[in-house]
Amino acid sequence: MVKEFEGRTEKEAIDKAVEELGLNRDEFDVEIVEAQKSGFLFKKGKVVIRVHVDDEDLPPEKKGPENDFEHAIVDFVENVIAKMGYPGTVSISFREDKKIGLRIDSEHSSILIGRKGKNLDAIQLLANVVAGKLTNDEMRVVIDSENYRSRREQNLIRMARKIGEQVRRTKGSRLLEPMNPFERRLIHTALNDFEDVDTKSEGEGLYKQVRIYYRGVDRDK
Amino acid sequence: MEKELVAYIAKALVDEPDKVEVNMIEGEKSTILELKVSPNDIGKVIGKHGRIAKAVRTILSAAATKTGKRVVLEILD
Repeated sequence: MVKEFEGRTEKEAIDKAVEELGLNRDEFDVEIVEAQKSGFLFKKGKVVIRVHVDDEDLPPEKKGPENDFEHAIVDFVENVIAKMGYPGTVSISFREDKKIGLRIDSEHSSILIGRKGKNLDAIQLLANVVAGKLTNDEMRVVIDSENYRSRREQNLIRMARKIGEQVRRTKGSRLLEPMNPFERRLIHTALNDFEDVDTKSEGEGLYKQVRIYYRGVDRDK
Repeated sequence: MEKELVAYIAKALVDEPDKVEVNMIEGEKSTILELKVSPNDIGKVIGKHGRIAKAVRTILSAAATKTGKRVVLEILD
C-alpha cells in the first residue's frame, strides 16, 4: 500500500502517517516527494511524503462474519460470554484455509481470559467442538482477546531466556510451571542458542514441566 | 444466569437439543446444576477424558465469580 501525507515539516507529515495508519515509525518506509523549507517571513514550509507499507504490517481490521458458518460461530461465542455475564463483541481477526481467528472485545476481557488464559482456552475448546459439528471437522477456531495469546508467547520467551541466564550463572537447574506442548516448544526453542544450558520436559500427560539445567560448555564437544 | 448458560452450551453441542434439561438446586453457599441430555448425547457433553465437561465447568466458575456463589455442574446419566 502506498499513501501520501503532507505537513509543514517532515516530522509532522510522519506523525500524521503514524496516527492514521496505526503503525510504529519503524514499520513503514518514507519517501520524500516534495520539500519546501520554511523561508523568510511568511513563506510556510511544506513537506509531502509517500509512505510504503507492507500490507501484512497493517493492523488487523475488525471484520464481520460473512458466511453461515462464521455467523453461527460468532453468535455462539457472543451468546456464551453474554450469558456468563460478561458481554462483548466478537469479530473475525483472520481467515485461513482451515482456520479462523475470532477476537473478543469486551470491558470484561480480563475475566474472560482468566488466569493463564484458562477461561479463554475453555471458550475456545467449546467453540471448536461447535465448529467441528457445523463443518464436519473442517474448520478450527482460535480465540483471542487483548492480544493475550501473542503477549503470552513473548512473555514465555523472555522468561525462558532470563532463567537460562540464571542457570548459567548458578550452574544449577530450574523447573518451570506446567505448560502445554505449544508453550514448551517455545521454551526449548528460545534456549537453542544457549550452548551451556539444556532443556528437557518432565512429567506425564498434556501438561508437562520443562527443566532448564546447566550442562557445561565442553561436554558434548 | 448460569442455568441458561449451561442449557445454551449443551444445546449447541448435542444432536437432540429438545432433550436438554437443566435443573437448578439452590443452596445457601452453592448452586447445583443438574444437566440431563439424551443418552445418545452424553459423550457430546463430556468429551474425551472429560475435556468438554471440564471446559463447561471452567466457564461456569468464571461466570459465578460475579455472584460469589459456587456452582457445581452434575451431568446425569
